[in-house]
Amino acid sequence: MDLMQLRKNAADHFKANGFPTTKDELWRFTDVSPVANTDFSSEWNASDLAFQPLSSYCLVFENGKLSPEKSKLNAFPEGVKVGSIMDHVDPRLGTLADAQSAFVAANTAGFSDGTFIEIAEGVELETPIHLVFLADVAGAAFHPRNFISIGIGAKVTVVEEYIGAADITYWTNAVTEVFVADRGTVDHYKVQRESATAFHFQTVEAQLGENAVFSNHAITIGGGLGRNDIRGKLIGEGGEAICNGLYLLNGKQQFDTHLFMDHAVANCNSHELYKGILDEKARAVFCGRILVQQDAQQTDAVQSNKNLLLSRGAKVHTLPQLEIYADDVKCTHGATIGELDETALYYLQTRGIDPVRGKAMLTYAFANEVLDEIKSASVKTYLENLVHEWLEKVSE
Amino acid sequence: MALLEIKNLHASVAGNEILKGINLTINPGEVHAIMGPNGSGKSTLSNVLAGNEVYEKTQGEILFDGKNLDDLVAHERARAGLFLAFQYPVEIPGISNMYFLKAAVNAGREYRGEEQLDAMDFIDLIEERKKVMNIRDDLLERAVNSGFSGGEKKRNEIFQMAMLEPKLGILDETDSGLDIDALRIVSDGVNALRDPERGFLVITHYQRLLDYIVPDVVHVMVHGQIVKSGGKELALELENEGYASWVGEEGI
Repeated sequence: MDLMQLRKNAADHFKANGFPTTKDELWRFTDVSPVANTDFSSEWNASDLAFQPLSSYCLVFENGKLSPEKSKLNAFPEGVKVGSIMDHVDPRLGTLADAQSAFVAANTAGFSDGTFIEIAEGVELETPIHLVFLADVAGAAFHPRNFISIGIGAKVTVVEEYIGAADITYWTNAVTEVFVADRGTVDHYKVQRESATAFHFQTVEAQLGENAVFSNHAITIGGGLGRNDIRGKLIGEGGEAICNGLYLLNGKQQFDTHLFMDHAVANCNSHELYKGILDEKARAVFCGRILVQQDAQQTDAVQSNKNLLLSRGAKVHTLPQLEIYADDVKCTHGATIGELDETALYYLQTRGIDPVRGKAMLTYAFANEVLDEIKSASVKTYLENLVHEWLEKVSE
Repeated sequence: MALLEIKNLHASVAGNEILKGINLTINPGEVHAIMGPNGSGKSTLSNVLAGNEVYEKTQGEILFDGKNLDDLVAHERARAGLFLAFQYPVEIPGISNMYFLKAAVNAGREYRGEEQLDAMDFIDLIEERKKVMNIRDDLLERAVNSGFSGGEKKRNEIFQMAMLEPKLGILDETDSGLDIDALRIVSDGVNALRDPERGFLVITHYQRLLDYIVPDVVHVMVHGQIVKSGGKELALELENEGYASWVGEEGI
């Protein structure tokens, strides 16, 4: 299908179905009517937002458009093709992301820029590729579309970071499709630091071949209302998918995470560790669906969602969903919602650590389990600092 | 001046009176042992001294190093030099032992108006103190008490005491769950810290620990009161005769 037809079908789907409502099972706890009821503009401006490049490979999108001036695109090694998705349309574009999703349809119909990354067979790119999406036009809608494909045995690390100006409302609606060929490894990070009054939605969908590895770390700090849909399809034996996440929410932020892991074949692993810290009147939804199809014997799937509530007004809905059609599998899940451990706080106090410091230490320790899993040292340090900054902000 | 002076201390938990008039004075350099059957209030006393807010002091006075403990909350008592080695040390996943110790040591230094230890000085201090307690490097890197064996947890408590150099060390059933080798290491650690300026309150159920940490004074605690005090020979007497003559026919 060509791009024109793909876009037309998506637009038709969106026109026919519109946005989901809370009557839709998958959207029961997240009311997107504030997005549906807003008219977004397509005005464009250059952005003055600051960002910190995490790598010598950095693509910067200013209010939805790739900025060659701010990006660092030169000198990629052979076998690495990186650029605007408008210049590289892969025939597989749109074949992976869930076509039934209103948000994916809106993106497919409306995207005007995004990243294309193709890594040739056997090429291992050690330096991360940092994608920065800056948003500082109030009332605008952005539909970034990213496409990542790596060849057999290839390797890449991609960091998507979304940064917004404080206190403005806009809508980011991103879609990222990831094709990981046999024995390939994609480490994908998503850092969401949108404005606290912005809408942020993203679908990340990855397909894994034999012995392929896909990891996704989603760190959510910003956004007023938003959702991540992170979906993995294990279609080759020996595949491994890791989906970890940390959401730090305060004020009236609402954030929803929907994971969907589809074990279609035997001998694959999936690990999901999601942690949330919520203060004030923040709300979070975690829905982790794991589908183990009939042929997916010896599946090893582990899911954990732990939440720390710093305030009585904060609320979490956590919903594990295991659908298992194979008989020889290992699937575990667990979910907790709790407050800081008073006994641990007392223990710290008996060593001279005051309660304010003690609470900060225990809260950081809670988040640290997710950060500890991050392999890239530069990304890890950067995220550790963001988490510290957030904790300082909420402890004031 | 006495290091610790407890006068007519009454304390309760959830409305139940556990301590019913404790009087106890520890002078600098002295090691006092409190022995008593289960449920006599030994652990309540250590928690009241450390400032655990679950326990409510209802009557009496506690002076520590000349300060009224009513005026100090738990972390201030610790900074002022009071240390409690827990019967059940708390596991804190996600905080490394090193990071925790550094925060604790520097909190005390800040209170005393001393400069904060930098990373190098801190490591020097660790290297010096860890030998006595036989603390391996991996225990320092691991999260506080997380996944430690019973013996490792107790050694870690005494190691923390060695790092923090308190004026008064309270050992709450530190011997419980220890085999003879671990008991020896823990006792050696405590004995190395004995000092003419420092006092200890050793709470134990068994006389065995007092073979290694030899006390100056032994107190017998029953039903929330100290019913007898004497020299170290009192511990042996208890070992032979038990607590029956104080507990009475109704038991505990």
